[in-house]
Amino acid sequence: MRTRQRKENGSDKPENGKAEKKVQKLKAKNVEENLKRIEEAEAAAESSEDSPFVSDSGEDDDDDDESLSEDNGSISESGSEQSKLSEDEDVVRSSDGDNPTGASDDDTDHSSGDSLREGDDNDNYHGEDSHGGSEDSREVVEESDSSEDEVAPRNTIGNVPLEWYKDEEHIGYDLAGKKIKKKERQSKLDSFLASVDDSKNWRKIYDEYNDEEVELTKEETKLIGRLLKGKAPHADFDPYAPYVDWFAWDGAKHPLSNAPEPKRRFIPSKWESKMVLRYVRAIRKGLIKFDDKPKEEPRFYALWDDSTPAERQGLAYIPAPKPKLPGHEESYNPSLEYIPTQEEINSYQLMFEEDRPKFIPKQYTSLRSVPAYEKAVQETFDRCLDLYLCPRVRKKRINIDPESLKPKLPSRKDLKPYPTTCYLEYKGHKGPVTTISTESTGQWIASGSKDGTVRIWEVETGRCLQIWDIGETIEDVAWNPLTEFPILAVAAGHDVFILNTGCGSHEQQKTIEELLHVEPQKATDESDTSASIVSWVQDDRHGGIRLKHFKTVTKVEWHRKGDYLSTLMPSDILFPAVNTLVVVRESRSVLIHQLSKRLTQRIPFKTKGIPVSTAFHPTRSIFFTATKKDVRVYDLLKQKLIKKLEAGVREISSIAIHPGGDNAIVGSKDGKLCWFDMDLSSRPYRVLRCHPKDITRVAYHRSYPLFASCSDDCTAYVFHGMVYSDLNQNPLIVPLEILRGHSSADGRGVLDCKFHPRQPWLFTAGADSLIKLYCH
Amino acid sequence: MDIDGGAGDAEESTRQVQVRFVTKLKPPYRAPPASISIPANLTRFGLSALVNNLLQSANADWKPEPFDFLIDGELVRMSLEEFLLAKGISAEKVLEIEYIKAVAPRKQEEPSLHDDWVSAVDGSDDGYILTGCYDGLGRIWRSAGVCTHILDGHSGPVTSVCVLKPKASESVVDRIVGTASKDRTLRLWKFGAEELLDQPKKIRAFKILRGHTAAVQSIAAEPSGDMVCSGSWDCSINLWNGNASDTESGLVSVKKRKKDGEDEEPQSEGEALSTLVGHTQCVSSVTWPQRETIYSASWDHSIRRWDVETGKDSLSIFCGKVINCLDIGGESSALIAAGGSDPVLRIWDPRKPGTLSPIFQFSSHNSWISSCKWHHKSWFHLVSASYDGKVMLWDLRTAWPLAVLDTHKDKVLCADWWKDDNVISGGADSKLCISSGISVQ
Repeated sequence: MRTRQRKENGSDKPENGKAEKKVQKLKAKNVEENLKRIEEAEAAAESSEDSPFVSDSGEDDDDDDESLSEDNGSISESGSEQSKLSEDEDVVRSSDGDNPTGASDDDTDHSSGDSLREGDDNDNYHGEDSHGGSEDSREVVEESDSSEDEVAPRNTIGNVPLEWYKDEEHIGYDLAGKKIKKKERQSKLDSFLASVDDSKNWRKIYDEYNDEEVELTKEETKLIGRLLKGKAPHADFDPYAPYVDWFAWDGAKHPLSNAPEPKRRFIPSKWESKMVLRYVRAIRKGLIKFDDKPKEEPRFYALWDDSTPAERQGLAYIPAPKPKLPGHEESYNPSLEYIPTQEEINSYQLMFEEDRPKFIPKQYTSLRSVPAYEKAVQETFDRCLDLYLCPRVRKKRINIDPESLKPKLPSRKDLKPYPTTCYLEYKGHKGPVTTISTESTGQWIASGSKDGTVRIWEVETGRCLQIWDIGETIEDVAWNPLTEFPILAVAAGHDVFILNTGCGSHEQQKTIEELLHVEPQKATDESDTSASIVSWVQDDRHGGIRLKHFKTVTKVEWHRKGDYLSTLMPSDILFPAVNTLVVVRESRSVLIHQLSKRLTQRIPFKTKGIPVSTAFHPTRSIFFTATKKDVRVYDLLKQKLIKKLEAGVREISSIAIHPGGDNAIVGSKDGKLCWFDMDLSSRPYRVLRCHPKDITRVAYHRSYPLFASCSDDCTAYVFHGMVYSDLNQNPLIVPLEILRGHSSADGRGVLDCKFHPRQPWLFTAGADSLIKLYCH
Repeated sequence: MDIDGGAGDAEESTRQVQVRFVTKLKPPYRAPPASISIPANLTRFGLSALVNNLLQSANADWKPEPFDFLIDGELVRMSLEEFLLAKGISAEKVLEIEYIKAVAPRKQEEPSLHDDWVSAVDGSDDGYILTGCYDGLGRIWRSAGVCTHILDGHSGPVTSVCVLKPKASESVVDRIVGTASKDRTLRLWKFGAEELLDQPKKIRAFKILRGHTAAVQSIAAEPSGDMVCSGSWDCSINLWNGNASDTESGLVSVKKRKKDGEDEEPQSEGEALSTLVGHTQCVSSVTWPQRETIYSASWDHSIRRWDVETGKDSLSIFCGKVINCLDIGGESSALIAAGGSDPVLRIWDPRKPGTLSPIFQFSSHNSWISSCKWHHKSWFHLVSASYDGKVMLWDLRTAWPLAVLDTHKDKVLCADWWKDDNVISGGADSKLCISSGISVQ
């Protein structure tokens, strides 16, 4: 018993303060009710437990006090004093109890009131209790058991606001209708001092209603504590007492219900089956999933993150950017560091328009003097325009590495040798060099110029060996491809000259001289119509043959065997036949001459359009004619058109045939270079847009896998053009080098380019009257 | 040369190096062997001034002379400090610096004017200079501007000339030279060395060698002078008998006739003894350094060594570029120097096993190299001529040219050494330039 109490006290100690406060807060009435209950319970306990509790109570008190004092050592000494004080208080109390005038009246007036008061007193005065002085009063209380809550208070004013009596001298009326006078209140200071001195002060409650101070007994505080904890108020109440079923069910003659078992107990539930069905359907539909793990939502997310919300919303909405908020510099009185100096303002004038700062901070003495913002309308308009015009749409973009789109070409280093640097220049011409031609051994080159001269140069040293002054602009020169016949075909004006260069040995010279000797009668005797087209004349001045044409010849080309020669007059010629009156519309712009027989013939098929360039097939008897639009391929033996190559360019300017014979390149006047693989298609295999200006000439190297194009933009491009013998493999084209060095003259740049027949060198003829040799 | 350049005012703060100057030169050039401490920032110029000072202190009437300096067989071409750092030589020890006379021309002779481009020059005989010209004439020059003979006969430009060294037994009266021309022939000429004339004497070839079917690019004589070889545009190398009197009986009669009438100079014709076939393009240069071997360079990017006896090529070096000139010389006359269609002068060592890459590449020229010649006596010195108009002197011990001769106004087509201390060169400005006073030991 004692240990339990001690425990309770120990645990309750901190709560006591709270309890006290709460208790103080309680309204007077409630307090009273509680007190009554406590009292009642105590009485009941006393009655049940009999004497030992009562007898020991005083000692208990002391013990408790001691235990309390032990618990909080700060007031350890107060224990002994406390007892003394309590005795003193007792004294005071007794005097207090005597003081009220109607004390005797009370005793007489109402038993219940008395009993209460007695009870109160009893509580207060334990010492007296122990003496068992008021045994009878307790019994009275016992008697009035049923109506304990209805015990009327001393005051009879009822449940009225006490403020009504605030200013009165009395607090109410007793049962007899007499005023109950207010007690003389202690001064605050005194009461405070008293409360400080009184260790039991925390147990005292002022009952406003009855205008008296009530001190709670230990049992009462414990009871309050139990109530506050939500336990049964009485300490001895056992809520978990074993249940005794007093009703005997067995052997009852009549059952409580004799109804038969209902049917529903034996059949499956309809509603349950419906429910099950619903679940099954939901499972099948996938509405219910048996995922073990609940979906994990990200517990944390960046609250102020700008990027995520759109994605989280699943919308492609991009909010318009907010306009920049004004900062310190937009203040009417910004700090000095924001204000630009005069030098800085001056320096703004030197900046680009878009780099200049939009706003120059200025200082004003007051907000009042700030003028209207002159750009307000403009900026608002711009902002609106931006909001209105800018499409804020999320675009799906495929991420492709641009490098991966580039074709994988071999490195230039692996494709050496190719011409790179100009080491030699051939100087001497007075006008733009229009054409060059290399001798097949690579010892000499011939060049023709607008100054009317044809020159032969030594490749190795750059020395000019021979000069012929033709007098007209040289359109084309061509070395005979045979090394034993170093003769040169020159197209100038209406004439084609076949010149003896004198580069051969003595025996060769003799045969050449024989070859180039034309008997004058024979030339005139030609009765065929072709005779009237071209006349073969001995030209003594230059030492060769002169083929008189009736139109300007622009191109002359040797057949690989060195006997045939094609000339080109790039105009659609309406040739009036001499003997007939009918004008025969027949193209005679391309003529083929045979040197050994001194014969001239038309190409045996009709051509369409004006031919620009011609070429012999390097190995077979095939002839290429390039018109402005397309390239036509003729078989000379079968005398028919084999193929038509569509270049798809504006105007073809030149053509070159790969030494293998199956590929051709075509240069155009819009700067495009088309590579035709004639086995593959009649359309270009590759179109290279490299030159910004007209391509003047394209050329293949005879043995190296190189080709070149030269243009009026003063550059020549060198490409690697590898043709594989494997038919499945397409030609490999790699741009290698841009050769610069020529200067422009009269809007023309490089007029001709030719590869050295045996070395990877390129000769270029420029409008600046120079010939350059680019070596590897 | 200015002596007191950088030696005297060397700052105290700079590092000092202990050096000792040694030389293989003759006594008047020999400096005291004591080691001295010199500032490390001296360059060649400063070192040269220093040595001159040393020599002057020993010999009062010393004339300053430019010197070049060798450390561990390498020419000093930067400041001493940098050189030591670059080569990782310790500056703590006493450094031995060998000095040699600087190789640079002291004097430019008056140019000898020709009528056309000077295409070939040979100075292997100390007595005269042989030049070939584009006007088809060969010329013999006794000294600068003094032409003694004109070799008249070619119908095309002379492309190459060579001096046939006579045998020791033969008298020095008759000198034999050979010329090659674009007219597909080679001609051999004989003239008396001692005759001195006011007017250059026109002489005619005593032997015409026909057989090439294209322009002959190069001619070289066997060391003994018995045979000549020639390279041509017909891709072949022909070997010819050089000395007419030995083999052909017909020539003896010719000689007799020559004595009879001087105007009618008889000519004999010779045929090729053998032909070395292998090159696929123009043979641009041939040399015949030893009796058994001929070296040839060609436009087919190869250099070949031919065995004369068998007529087979025993070595071929491919360089990737067209080769225009070739010479054998250097260390035990085994190194090959060649230049071609790029501005790089390359030197191969065919004795080096395993690799056929050049051991030296000199690339100070700006254009094609037209000619290169080893010095006859030095292992290290080379002269090269280029189309950029410059003649450069090279030393294998440094990557920079020793001297750049800029006397030509146009392409230089040929260059050679003459009398061991002259460099002769001819070019497209029709001049034969002689730079003299080059002291190569």
